[in-house]
Parts: sequence; structure tokens; C-alpha cells
Amino acid sequence: MPPSNIEIEALKNVVINIGGIEEEEEEWETMGPTPMPGIADLRNWDYKLLKRYKPFYAPYCEMCCFCTFGKCDLTGGKKGACGLGMAAQQARFVTIACLMGCSAHTAHGRHLLRKVLKIVGDREINMGTGINIEAPLTRLITGIKPEKLSDFIPVLEYLEEQIAQLLDSTHTGQEGSNLDYESKAYHAGMLDSLGKEVADLIQIVAFDLPKGDPDAPLVEIGMGCVDESKPVILVIGHNVVPSVAVMDYMSDHGLDERIEVAGICCTAIDTTRYSQKAKIVGSIGRQLRFVRSGVADVIMVDEQCIRADILEQAKRIHAPLIATNDKALYGLVDRTNDSVDDIVAILASGKEPGVVILDPVKAGEVAVRVVQITHEKRKELVNILTDEEFKEYVTMCQNCDANCIVACPQGLPIGEANKAAAKGDTAPLASLFDPCVGCGRCEQVCKKHIPIVDVILKASLPYVKSEKGMIRVGRGPVRDTEIRKVGAPLVLGTIPGIIAIVGCGNYPNGTKDVYRIAKEFAERKYIVVLTGCGAMDAALYRDKDGKTLYEKYPGDFDGGCVLNIGSCVSNAHIHGAAIKVAAIYARRNIRGNYAEIADYILNRVGACGVAWGAMSQKAASIASGVNRIGIPVVIGPHGWKYRRAYLGRKYVDEDWVVYDARDGSKVQIEPAPEHMLVAADTYQEAIPLIARLCFRPTDNSMGRQVKLTHYMDLSMKYLGVYPDDWHIFVRGEADLPLARKEEYLRILKEEHGWDVDLEAKKILSGPVRKMDVGFDATNLEELIKKNK
Amino acid sequence: MEIPFDIGNISGPENARVAQPEALGRAIKNAKRPLLVVGSEILDDDLIEKAIAIGKKGIPIAATAHSMKGFVDRGYTENVHLTGLHELANNIESRDWMGFDKTGGYDLIAVLGGIYYSTSQFLIALKNFATDPIVRCISIDRYYHPAARMSSVNISRKHTDEFKKMLDKVIENI
Repeated sequence: MPPSNIEIEALKNVVINIGGIEEEEEEWETMGPTPMPGIADLRNWDYKLLKRYKPFYAPYCEMCCFCTFGKCDLTGGKKGACGLGMAAQQARFVTIACLMGCSAHTAHGRHLLRKVLKIVGDREINMGTGINIEAPLTRLITGIKPEKLSDFIPVLEYLEEQIAQLLDSTHTGQEGSNLDYESKAYHAGMLDSLGKEVADLIQIVAFDLPKGDPDAPLVEIGMGCVDESKPVILVIGHNVVPSVAVMDYMSDHGLDERIEVAGICCTAIDTTRYSQKAKIVGSIGRQLRFVRSGVADVIMVDEQCIRADILEQAKRIHAPLIATNDKALYGLVDRTNDSVDDIVAILASGKEPGVVILDPVKAGEVAVRVVQITHEKRKELVNILTDEEFKEYVTMCQNCDANCIVACPQGLPIGEANKAAAKGDTAPLASLFDPCVGCGRCEQVCKKHIPIVDVILKASLPYVKSEKGMIRVGRGPVRDTEIRKVGAPLVLGTIPGIIAIVGCGNYPNGTKDVYRIAKEFAERKYIVVLTGCGAMDAALYRDKDGKTLYEKYPGDFDGGCVLNIGSCVSNAHIHGAAIKVAAIYARRNIRGNYAEIADYILNRVGACGVAWGAMSQKAASIASGVNRIGIPVVIGPHGWKYRRAYLGRKYVDEDWVVYDARDGSKVQIEPAPEHMLVAADTYQEAIPLIARLCFRPTDNSMGRQVKLTHYMDLSMKYLGVYPDDWHIFVRGEADLPLARKEEYLRILKEEHGWDVDLEAKKILSGPVRKMDVGFDATNLEELIKKNK
Repeated sequence: MEIPFDIGNISGPENARVAQPEALGRAIKNAKRPLLVVGSEILDDDLIEKAIAIGKKGIPIAATAHSMKGFVDRGYTENVHLTGLHELANNIESRDWMGFDKTGGYDLIAVLGGIYYSTSQFLIALKNFATDPIVRCISIDRYYHPAARMSSVNISRKHTDEFKKMLDKVIENI
């Protein structure tokens, strides 16, 4: 509005409304083209990804039952009554799943902000001397540089508006294109990454959690690490505020050493980031088993990844349940406004099996006071099966294989194991403990009503008691100073990649796979970062010297290090590290500049996500967000059930053409990375695949040598052969690992028909392209210098 | 009617016809371009010997997961091709893919020894999207796979001998 003079005296009967006063924001960086992008603003980038990494659908359900036109059968190319076909329906479903995940993280952030503004006030965001780019995703996506906690309010408003718009698009009679639904799923994934960053930064600032500390302390983890002789509070979920209140109340009342606080899932990780007095039981797969073990004297839940029947399970072991978040209330009475004394009396007497307390501080006090009473009362209870009960149950089993094995998501041979146990050999039953995902579906269908979860737990007790690992508490963001050190080797490829092990515990064959994957890549000097369930499960195993990965390897963001970044919401810092490479090493402007930065990461940063046990909708949105920013993800075999993958076709040359930004010329490149989202069946298959997905077009020769060495070695180690596609990553003899150069040159000549001078050790022709040190790869026309 | 090995795995109105091993074998024999897709479970119970027997009948083998190592260890790699299951499905759906021998796609896929749930998703992807030209899928596994066109029945691990006899009948009829 242009400035003008108004004569106030001349105005009569005029109402003046003054809107929000906008503060002049410091021009800290030039604003890019897409601050706070709407649904269609990054569609051009999405379509570039989708052209190369085409959506691949494996329908988990071939019908649609969303509206009363249905059910509609979509098989055989049929469309539903609304006109939607199979591909678009699958993409729509994925979009909805991503929105669920994105909503969980965003709402988590919103809840945290509301609570912490009340508890600690509007704190300044100060991430310490090593971190200037405090919120890379917030800067990248919204163009906002947050300086205090309340600066996240407009970020959350943006997220909430976009979630509503996206969810609207999934209503009957909206989007009809599978590709545009994929673009929307990408959008939800990107929003998810932002929601996670907001949530984690809020809790880091509010509760003074580690700010990128490579030497973050070690804490105990495992079902065997909990001291049962003390009162035990079990916290489950992802939202740490009530658990912080527990720790504070205990500390304020000198109870730190007298009460055990043990956690399951990300609340556990975040509680240990706050106080190292807490312990981590483990990931989601341990939930039912640990609850059934009866160790907990009080169970407190917040949000996400809690068993929906937690109240029934808590009742079974006579442990009161405290629900602290309005998203998971379990039909309990809301006693938020009752006095602490009254609530303690109700829970201690067992009059009510649990309560809702939406005030986290009050919930913390109640939990600590109640647990001291219930611990005494529960001392005589025996929740683990007696030897006699165990024998009776395993003998009852007829090994019918009729129900339990087809109900088990893993198809575990429960009957055979029971049969062996009946004869005195409990080893087969105990061997089911780790691959079992702890769902309990088997029990519900057993004709003999055998409590199979309890039977397996009993057989595994020696293992369970000895399950004691060590994990470095979640360190939070990667420091700018670390990026300055590793930026060049990462982009050039001499640090061969960042392996980001994230996600849930729905593994095909137990927790040890993630340990094996992390160990293999740490030994090979990749940067191994972990979050969430993956971070916890990798901590359960020790090497021959008795050291866990976190004890053996440093916690720096550098080659050959193993980092626990933190909980699920801390995933955002892995995106953040890649963004910082672009910002710090390449000096790219990141503000509101999503497509350029994603393009940079896709072409230059050799990172690969691994969601080996991906289970939840959050995992779907996490992967979509990682993919949109240009990082591929390998999922375990259960991941097929997400319905959609993004797979490249390396034999379609036109899919692998990029621009050289220097002059706009088109360059045929090798398929690097070949896929965006792909499943592997076993860890042996996954490991070479992960190495393959770390190739990038801009690797220099030294970097390509390193990556090729690992790819070839790992394929030979786990699959017994060299991969059949290694040669397409060779641009010249300088790319070949020195130790095997002659052998590889011979293979290129004899098996792939390349023109090779073996004596001179020269490749004369054959590669897709030659190595060009100045190659400035981009998929975006607007980044071609003459177009700028 | 047979139930899926994972009982909740009922995706839609069309489910595989249960077929006798002789019919499964003949389906492979009668195909112009058959492909046997094997997974990591062929490394259990010596099932790899059955896969090799099929390979020796001239049927190319796609070795998914880490099953390739089993073939290498047994010295049989003649017509065995290393691939991922996801990548393979994506390739089979593509008209641009010319098969492992670079001469064309496949018209019949037989699955054996894959993880049940990922193989199920592999089959349902091909059922819905490998349609031009159509690719028929059969299961000769120890699991009933509803997403295949024809499938063997569920055979419990405690009856592995029966399963192997079933496979022998399949092989006899190729």
C-alpha cells in the first residue's frame, strides 16, 4: 500500500481494522523461488524425479472401499465407479499414508510447542558455536530463519494448511493422475521432514538436549538392563514431555537412584537425551514382550507406536496406565483437573485401571508417586510363566500349523518349536524371540488358547536377561564445522557415502540385520547415521571384544563413525546434513530454494537411506521426504507392502541424461543413483545394493575407485559374484581400483567387449562417458548458466 | 478352497487356481519364454537342488535375494542371473527390457523359495501391471499364492519331504 496522508478529523463512523504487524525481517539470504511451496510449486521437480524413477505399484489391496459407490474391483485395468484406476488408487493410498505420517510428526511438533511455551517460555534458538544453520529444512522450505521458539508458529501454520490441502486432494472426485498423486506424496514427505525438524529443534532448545555432540554419553539399552528390584516406570511413545516431567520430579525429590525409568520407542531415546538416568528397553518389537514380562509397575504412554491394546496388556500385569496425550486416550477417564492426591489414590487402589492426564507435569508427578506404591503391591506377582505352566502349554500344542503360522507376519514355525520344547529342547522356541515382531496375532488364533508370546518369552528368558547393549544418546544435528571437514570428500566420493539407517522394527529376520549393515559400512569408512528403532536395535550386539558399535566407533560425522542422531523426528538432521553440504561446501543459497538443493543432493551427495524394518505410515512419509530431496532409500521386504516403489531402468538411455550447467549440453550418465525406493529381501542382498546406490555422477576418479571397490567387494562377499552392472560405473581406467585394475580391465575387454589396451592399461572405448572434473550435473534447465 | 499362507493376504476378487504339480510343470514346459524366480529360501532344505534341476531343463533362473551364493557354491551358474526381486518385477513390466539374454521378455514366471510376503507383492504387481504383453505367473512354492494365476497349496515345513516330491513331479513334467 503506498504511503498517503489521511485527515483523521475528517473521518466519521469509520471502523479501522489493523491486521498483524509484519516485522521487517533481516535479509539474511536472498529468497529463492519457492518459499512455503504449495502443492503444485515443486511439481516440475517431482516430475523430473518421476520420469527417471517411475512409480512401481504392487497393490496390497485391489479394491477401493473409500466411498459408498464401492467396493470397486480395480483388477484387470478396470476403473472404479468414480473413474479412478488402479495406479492412481495406489498412489492415492500412498499419499494418504504419507499424510498420516506427516500429520503425526507435525502434530507432535505443535503439541510440543504448546507445552514447552508454557513450561519453559519462548526460548532463543541457540544451537551452540558449531551450528550456524540452525534449521536447514525450515530455511530451505519456508524461507524462515527461526530465532526463538515462537518463530516456529508460522512454520506450523504452513504445515497444517498444506496437510489440509493435500488431504482434500484424496477425497473422491479430486485428483485423477497417479503421477500427480505421487507429486502430492512427495509434498507430504517434504512437509514431514519439516515437521520433524520443527519438533526436534523445539525439544532440543526447550530441554537442552545435545546439540550435535559427537561425544554424547552412552546409556544402557536392552530388556536385561532394567533393575527390577526398583519401582519401574515404563514410558512408551514419541513425545518426551511427560517423561521429562517424570525425570524432573524424581530429580527434585531425590528419587533418581530409587526409581527406574525405562522407555520403549522414540520416547526412550529422547528421555535419555534429557537424562542419562533413564534406560532404553528397545524398539517397538520389544513392546508386548516387555510389558508381558511384568517388570513395569506403571506404564505411561504419550503418542505414536503404542499398542492399541496397551490398556488390556497393562491390566493383565496389574500395572496402572497413564495416558498423557489426547491422540491416544483408550477410553480412560480424564482426570487432568483432579488433584494429584486423588489420582494417586485411584491408581494405587486399582479402582481404575488407568487415567488420562493431559497436563504433563502433573502426569510426571503422579507416575512417580504411584510407582512407589504399586511396586510394593506387585512384588508378589509372577507374570512370567512358571516351569510347570510352560511345560503344560508346549505339551498342549499339537503342531497343527493350522492357525498360528498363517497368522504370524513372519510365518515363524511356532508349532515345531513348541514340539521341540515339549521334548525338552527350548532352543528352537528361544530362537523365535528376535525374529518375532511381537504382534501377538498367533495367540488370538490358537485353538488351544496357548499364550504363545508368553511361551516364547519364557523360553528366551536367559537371552532376555542378558540383553544389555550400550547406545550413545541421540546427538541431534550435524554441526556446520563437521560439514566443512567432510563436504569435499563426500561430494568427490572419497568418503563413499552416508548410510542412514532409520525407521521401525519390522525386520524380516530380527534385529541383528541392522547391526550387520551398520557394522559393514562403518568398517568401510562410510558415515553411518542412525535414528529411531534402527539406532536402538543396532546397539544390542557386541563384537568379540565386548564392544557395541557405539562404543567401538566415534560419534563424529565423518567416515568410519557411527552416530545416533536421535529419535524419529531427529531424522530431519540427516536431510539437514545434506542441505548443509550444499550450503556450506558448495555455497548454494538454500532459502526457499528446494528444487536446486534437491538437484544438488541428487547429483552430488552419495547418501542412501536404509529403512530395513519400515512399518508405519511415518516411515512412508519419511522415505518420500528423503526421496524428494534426492536421496534413495532401501527398504526391507515388508516394505513391498507400502504398495509403491520408485525404480529406475538403467537400460533406458533417455532416463539417464542430465545437463552440464556450464553450457547446457546434454550428457548421458551412468544410472547413479539407480533407484529412489527399492526393497531387498535379505541383508546380504541389501548391503551391495546400498553401496550401489551411493554412486553419484560427480564422483571424481578417486571417489569412484573407492565406491567401485566397495560395491565389487560387497557383491562378492555376500552374493558370491561380481555384480553384472559394475562396468557401467566405469568412465575410464582411472576409475578402476588400483589393486585389481588388471583383472577388471581384462573383464571389461573379455566379457563386456570394451576396447582395452591391456598392456598400456588404457580403456580406448566402452564407457558411457568420460570422466570430466568440471562436470556440473543438473536436471534443472534454470540452473544452466546461460539461462540464469 | 486354499487359504493364503498369510491369512490376511486376500487382495481382491480373483485368486489363484490350485493346480496339481503336473499341471504346473506343463505350464512351464508349454511357455515360450519361461523364467524361474528363486529367493533365499531355496538355500533351506536343499531346495536349490530342485532349482538347479529345473535350470538344467533349460529354464533360465533369476536368483533374487542372496540365493546366487548357493548356485556359486554348487558350481552351477550356467543360466542363473543375479537380480533383485523388486528390480526384476520392474523389468518384467517394461516393454523395453529384453530379458537376461537380451532377446526378449518372458511370458511365464514361476516362483520358488522367495519370502512369502515379498513374493506375494511381486506376483500381484505382475498380475496388475505386466499386461502388455501379458505375463502369466505360477507358484511352485510351499505356499499358496493367491496373486498367481495357478498355485501349489500350502505345505507345512514339517512336510518338506512331500514338498520336494511335489517339486519332483513339477520337474518331471517340464
